[in-house]
Amino acid sequence: MARATSAISRAKPATTAGTSQSEYLDSSEKELLDCLRAGDNGCYEILVRRFGPQVLATAKRYLRSDADAADCFQDTFLAVFKSIDKFEQRSTIGTWLRGITINQCLMRIRAQGRRQEDSIEHLLPVFDEKGNRMDSCSSNGSCQIDELLDTAQMKQLVREKILELPDTSRVMLLLRDIDGYSTKEAATILGISVTAAKTRLHRSRTALGALLKPEMERLKYHADV
Amino acid sequence: MLTCKEFDDFMVDYLEQGLPVWRNFMCWLHVKMCRECADFVRDYKRAVKLGQIAFDSPDEPVPDFVPEELIKAALSHRRSN
Repeated sequence: MARATSAISRAKPATTAGTSQSEYLDSSEKELLDCLRAGDNGCYEILVRRFGPQVLATAKRYLRSDADAADCFQDTFLAVFKSIDKFEQRSTIGTWLRGITINQCLMRIRAQGRRQEDSIEHLLPVFDEKGNRMDSCSSNGSCQIDELLDTAQMKQLVREKILELPDTSRVMLLLRDIDGYSTKEAATILGISVTAAKTRLHRSRTALGALLKPEMERLKYHADV
Repeated sequence: MLTCKEFDDFMVDYLEQGLPVWRNFMCWLHVKMCRECADFVRDYKRAVKLGQIAFDSPDEPVPDFVPEELIKAALSHRRSN
């Protein structure tokens, strides 16, 4: 088992979720899967250590508290242990694990009950009776702002703003734009129609844009000074 | 020409190039003619891009380490189930 364990520990983690995936696992992942299905404790530990960071990071994206993310981490691996025989090998182990993690997060969000969500209406565009856009979105210096995109400060800011969105908007945005699921896949995961998913996605992106806009202007101002 | 409201309704499909050719052209034309919508599209695209950059690729190695007690709890959780 030591040799198998060594090979498995070199296995690469997941590919991108929601994009085209190989139908087959590479040899080291197959080896890990066989070992897991045989119930080997050492292989379970390898799985948790190898994919744990990915699972925890995903849970932290979807859930608002670290305690919930830690609980989700446990629930995810328990679900994996229970369903390892059902894994159909139509994605990498990492991609499969991410799907389970997201499902566990959504179950947890739903179990917490539908909290009174803050409306995002005030962040959405307004149109007059003729259908003309009433709010002006013009701003100056967009090119300079783009230069700030890749800074740690901006990343932290954007994460905070995404966290300000209500759960329904935030989850849609994470599924589609961050975790790379197609709109159709996101609709299926959420149990809503594709049309409803598109509307929700559009509103979420628009709200995020509105939340970010003054911050980007502020960052640009400080960058220019 | 489309109104801003009509363009807004088609925007997700327009940006994903999921519209029929004629409707796609009408949207394109609207953006060319309407400063407000052109600005809106720019901010909208930037919000999407920022969201993606903020999390980088979820497939990259995650800098966060998993606390040892969390790993041990997951393993013992499995044994007890």
